[in-house]
Amino acid sequence: MLLARVDGSATSTIKHPSATGWRLAICQPQDDQGNDVGGPLIALDDMGAALHQQVIISSDGDSLRDWVEDSHSPLRFMVTHIVDEVLA
Amino acid sequence: MKIGHVVGRVTLNHHVDSYRGGRFFLVLPATREQLERDTLEPLPKGNTLVVWDDLGVDIGDRIAFSEGGEACMAFNLDTPVDAYNCMILDRLDYHPPALSSDTET
Repeated sequence: MLLARVDGSATSTIKHPSATGWRLAICQPQDDQGNDVGGPLIALDDMGAALHQQVIISSDGDSLRDWVEDSHSPLRFMVTHIVDEVLA
Repeated sequence: MKIGHVVGRVTLNHHVDSYRGGRFFLVLPATREQLERDTLEPLPKGNTLVVWDDLGVDIGDRIAFSEGGEACMAFNLDTPVDAYNCMILDRLDYHPPALSSDTET
């Protein structure tokens, strides 16, 4: 799982059907010190994480496919936790 | 899914049968700087990758693509695909915090 910061949201009309109805949060993975690591990602979010909120995103496809109830879903990354505090 | 800009097209004349029905595009994974300025000019340096697409993108679109095991999930037949275009992005509300205050305390 990755620690990440929510930097915005995205909208998409033409997409794989399993992504319909999910909020697309733009997440920037971070290390424990809060420095950005790599490029921004798009994660499915149904927790309503706020802007610049720290969250944990999971890159496991299996649990995401159960979540979107589509065994052929090519999606990846979903927000699983909203972080209160990081004790690094 | 990673965010990328479609910058080119790849055409094949001999390919695996299960590739039929889609096309290959050259995609440049987007970094923070590229996303903050909307236009792509000047084209930034970066390593592009080939993404399989059946949604009908064109050069200049921004897409969200997934890599690795998830990429070949969308096919009924076993297909050797490493990067799959999941979405064509319409609008990005991207507001990263200013670089100077990057360390969130």
